[in-house]
Amino acid sequence: MILADAGNILVWIVWVVAAFACLGSGIAVISFSNPFYSALSLIGNLASLAVLYLLLAAEFVAAAQVLVYAGAVMVMFLFVIAYLGGHADAPWAGGPSWQALWAVAASAALLVEVIVVIGLKTGGRLSHSPPTDFSFGSPATIGRLFLTDHLLAFEITSIVLLIAAVGGVILGSHSRETAAE
Amino acid sequence: MTEVWWVSLIKAFVIINLLMLTFAYMTLIERKVLARMQLRYGPNRAGPFGLLQPIADLVKLIRKEAFFPASAVDVLYITAPVLSCFTALAAFSVIPFGPGWTIGDYYVSGEVVNVSISLILLFALGSLGIYGFIVGGWASDSKYSLLGSMRTCAQMVSYEVSLTFAVLGVVLMGRSLSLVDIVHKQDETFWFFGPQFVGLLIFFVAGVAETNRPPFDLPEADTELVAGYHTEYSGMRFGLFQMGEYVNMITLSALAVTLFFGGWYGPWAPLGPLWFALKLFAVIFIFLWLRATLPRLRYDQLMRLGWKVLLPLATVNAVVTAALVVAL
Repeated sequence: MILADAGNILVWIVWVVAAFACLGSGIAVISFSNPFYSALSLIGNLASLAVLYLLLAAEFVAAAQVLVYAGAVMVMFLFVIAYLGGHADAPWAGGPSWQALWAVAASAALLVEVIVVIGLKTGGRLSHSPPTDFSFGSPATIGRLFLTDHLLAFEITSIVLLIAAVGGVILGSHSRETAAE
Repeated sequence: MTEVWWVSLIKAFVIINLLMLTFAYMTLIERKVLARMQLRYGPNRAGPFGLLQPIADLVKLIRKEAFFPASAVDVLYITAPVLSCFTALAAFSVIPFGPGWTIGDYYVSGEVVNVSISLILLFALGSLGIYGFIVGGWASDSKYSLLGSMRTCAQMVSYEVSLTFAVLGVVLMGRSLSLVDIVHKQDETFWFFGPQFVGLLIFFVAGVAETNRPPFDLPEADTELVAGYHTEYSGMRFGLFQMGEYVNMITLSALAVTLFFGGWYGPWAPLGPLWFALKLFAVIFIFLWLRATLPRLRYDQLMRLGWKVLLPLATVNAVVTAALVVAL
């Protein structure tokens, strides 16, 4: 019993640290003036999100989050930023103040919306954790859900990705032709 | 059959030290093998047969002045080598090296951690390790370092895709993402290097590129870039980068053994970790052999090989394997 309590406290500590790291790195992303640091903070944000997924017993989602977003996608961001240099034109740096005002208002509205939706949807279920069995969040379970309940969303995503890939090829070949001329 | 937490702790301590010892002696073996292949003696002054050479190297690296460029970004400059070394060491923790034993009343499993998604975890840690190289090169604020880290970045991202696709066939045949399950499956059926021969080839070529080893050592091509991303590093910080690279190579060799050559199982005699070590050193030897044999590729050749040869081949391999697994 004492051990179980110690485990709960540990989970709680990890949750607090990850949640604050998530918020802190999120704020850091938009407050650094150097884009390289912003990108690094975004990696930290994605990594702390992965920790939160781990606490929700979604190991596969956490690992995929790190592999795809924190790993592959952000490498591209860093690559481009490092290549262009930290002092490259930053289109949104020092924009007009009404833009900042609108941003704050919009995010406040989003926050209220999220809280209201969660409050309405969950009712009294937030106070105790739902039962999860061993296969919850395993690759096999997720794969089965993709091919049954969420088949349409899965297929649409794959088409969107295919279009993006074709677009990338077309853009790349176009710039090569103009370079050759 | 669960492990007591302090048994896990002791085991992790032992494994990490064994790993670092392997790294230290790999540098010696590499220099010896290279020397013999080039009709030289190699290091033979420190201790009998030069056996104390790694220790001499370590003392030298620690005692060297750890300077850094005046314009470097110091926090990132210092964290980068630590990060790449940490992710490399952490990735090894999911590699199974034995069947698990019962010593007295305590059960000791044959890997540091056993998670159901160990293969993805390993690749995820590997993809985080790239940041050490990029951030280190960027924070050095030097042209050679930046160019080196750009090359590292482009090369590792390109070949990571082929590397991941190459193991898809094994995952399909093993029907699991857990390395322990894959090893057991190979013992029940056959070692996967036979049916997954194409996968093994792609895995190995992409693995050599992923660890920046010759003939794919463009990120630190010394004739063009001085030393690539670690040009401005000295002392033990340079040592940490080296350690990260070599440990990555050990982990990748261990992964090849686990995925394609039956892990800790041998053709006869249940020797467990001994078989694993033997196969591991055989794969590492091939890495060294390649370095002594092949000249460096040109940069466009490297990119063409990665995207136009390895990736389509790996995709076809995965699709054909999937079809066969379903059909048979």
